[in-house]
Amino acid sequence: MKVLVTGANGFLGSKLVEKLLSLTDYEIRCFVRSDQNLHKIIELSKENEGRVEIIRGSLLNPSDCLLAADGIDIVFHLAAATSGAPAEMFLNSSVATDRLMSAVISSDTNTRIVFCSSFSVYGTSTLPVGAMINEQTPLEENPTARDIYALTKYHQEQIMLKYHREKKLPLTILRPGVIYGPGSSGISGRVGINLFGLFLLMGNHNLLPLTYVDNCAEAFVIASQKSTFQNDIYNVVDDNLVTCKEFLHLYRKNVKKIHYIPLHYSIILILSFLCEKYYAYSNGQLPDIFTRYKSSSIWRNRNYTNNKLKSIGWKPGISTGEGLTSHFSYLKMAGRQDRM
Amino acid sequence: MMKLKIALVGCGQIADGHAGEIKKIANAELVGVCDIEPIMAEQLAMRFNIPAYFSNFSEMLNRCRPDVVHICTPPASHLPLVKEAVTAGCHVYVEKPLAMDYDQCLALVDLVLSSNRKITIGHNSEFDPPSLDMRKLVEKGVLGDPVHIESWFGYSLAGPFGKAILSSPDHWVHRLPGKLFQNNINHLLNKITEFVKDERPYVHATAWKSYFLPKYGDIRDDLFDELRITIKGKDVSAYGTFTSNVKPVAQFTKLYGTKGIIEVDYNSRVVTVEPGAGLPSAIGRLVSGFSRSKAYAKSSFQNLWRFMKNEYHYFAGLNYLITRFYESILQDKPLPISTTDMLRISWIMDEIFRQINNNKE
Repeated sequence: MKVLVTGANGFLGSKLVEKLLSLTDYEIRCFVRSDQNLHKIIELSKENEGRVEIIRGSLLNPSDCLLAADGIDIVFHLAAATSGAPAEMFLNSSVATDRLMSAVISSDTNTRIVFCSSFSVYGTSTLPVGAMINEQTPLEENPTARDIYALTKYHQEQIMLKYHREKKLPLTILRPGVIYGPGSSGISGRVGINLFGLFLLMGNHNLLPLTYVDNCAEAFVIASQKSTFQNDIYNVVDDNLVTCKEFLHLYRKNVKKIHYIPLHYSIILILSFLCEKYYAYSNGQLPDIFTRYKSSSIWRNRNYTNNKLKSIGWKPGISTGEGLTSHFSYLKMAGRQDRM
Repeated sequence: MMKLKIALVGCGQIADGHAGEIKKIANAELVGVCDIEPIMAEQLAMRFNIPAYFSNFSEMLNRCRPDVVHICTPPASHLPLVKEAVTAGCHVYVEKPLAMDYDQCLALVDLVLSSNRKITIGHNSEFDPPSLDMRKLVEKGVLGDPVHIESWFGYSLAGPFGKAILSSPDHWVHRLPGKLFQNNINHLLNKITEFVKDERPYVHATAWKSYFLPKYGDIRDDLFDELRITIKGKDVSAYGTFTSNVKPVAQFTKLYGTKGIIEVDYNSRVVTVEPGAGLPSAIGRLVSGFSRSKAYAKSSFQNLWRFMKNEYHYFAGLNYLITRFYESILQDKPLPISTTDMLRISWIMDEIFRQINNNKE
């Protein structure tokens, strides 16, 4: 079995390569766009001689896509833009996905796809407080009202679904929550935001849908072995989740003290309303970062389940307590190195 | 009120700015967008609520019948797209650089003028609020006769576009004769050509690759990121600096005249006048600092007032330029930027790239 991992030098991608090497006998082709964080893949390649192939290229280049997809049984498609200008994000998420899938279709092999989507594709704005987010939760109906990351992930997933529908491409979609662990950045936007040096705790008592990077990578491995590839969808979230406030307290205790102000959800909605009004009044003089729609999508309390993923044999190997300890140790160490 | 029907081709980063500003203009309606990559056209139409999107330029022209086409594609495609647009009866807003070289620019301008259509180039920074303030001061005679210009253009290769250029050897910027400079120095040069009016001034250029740039082993290694220019006209001289390494990234112009010095900071949008010491000796030196502080405070309060009046948008210059261009079409007014100026800048750019490339060899 030969598999392709796109975005293999990313935070999740490099962990997935590690897990594929330890949990399967797959031969792994790693597709990377840049040399950033490539050292880990190169080390894994040396340790597992003959099992890891590294291809540098761009998914925007059709010939690179053909080369990447050649002779592949399963594609783990993780590559996506996480930041940048909107056009650039569409280019590196949607257009890149379209070109890769086009190459997959044109190859003769019956290639299957495990696609990395996101919780952000769910239409959560109108759901009541405490609603359970599961695989049946409707997708976002108004994606352009969301932030650009949510919009591009939604659009990218729609392209995957189109290939599944129209070209019968065997597809499994995994929708991880907040992936964390050594190597990730500090605090998720679901917890809050840093505004001119002051942290605004927006999530308060909301559950934070965490998934430790090792657990998440194992979910991808299991999905590749156990799913039917008939548009199977699995949410990836760990057990015993903490609230945003608990997360922040642990961060302050274990990493560094930061000053923060907790904002009640009703205050967030009032501020969002004012931002919307100002945006309209000033004809966009300041960007509409906060709107009631965006805020209610991100900062209203929800519940999460991983029952479907567990039904195919996944269980989080690292508990949330262990994961947080490891995550905060890494952040503290990284902070020290930054100061050196 | 007659509304112009607007179409846009090339749905990359700068297209967002165009679409956003066109949407704010009362006498214009964005009717369609086009990109050779249909997903890019779709995403722009989706985000800006534009009724139609296309991956074929001819089809867009046929179906939408626009009055004006904004051409936001890479410069190698400008000439053929302009040709097709003016043949279809459209006026054209062409993003900078106008074309690949002076000869192409000349052909492009001739094509538009011989078709009795109008053209503008994306020199939006010429119409940013500080540029307009500077022009008012010059008109008031604060500068006196211009003697020398310093034009500084800082550029961040860590920004979204810079990252896109460095991340791929296939990026179109690597195929321009003047590479990174060609895509940016219009904004540096138009500050100079506003005062150096000579058609063929003396130009001297030096460029190099800094040691900050990594080695790629491909065409990206040919990218230069530092450029210094000297320009000398009959009456006015100028220095131009393009830098990718000086931090913070600054963009400013200093105008030196026979009566005063005007400093235009495009980032903070502060415009100040340095009239020199009016008082003798130590008193003069002491007062001079306070005079400068007062000038900064005055300009900052002006900006605050603009902000309160909602006249402090990021793309204020782009909006101003598009509005003036549409007015020139609807009311048959002169172009906001003359074709002579477009061509003069193009010639200077050719001269700069010729010297740089000769030195490389």
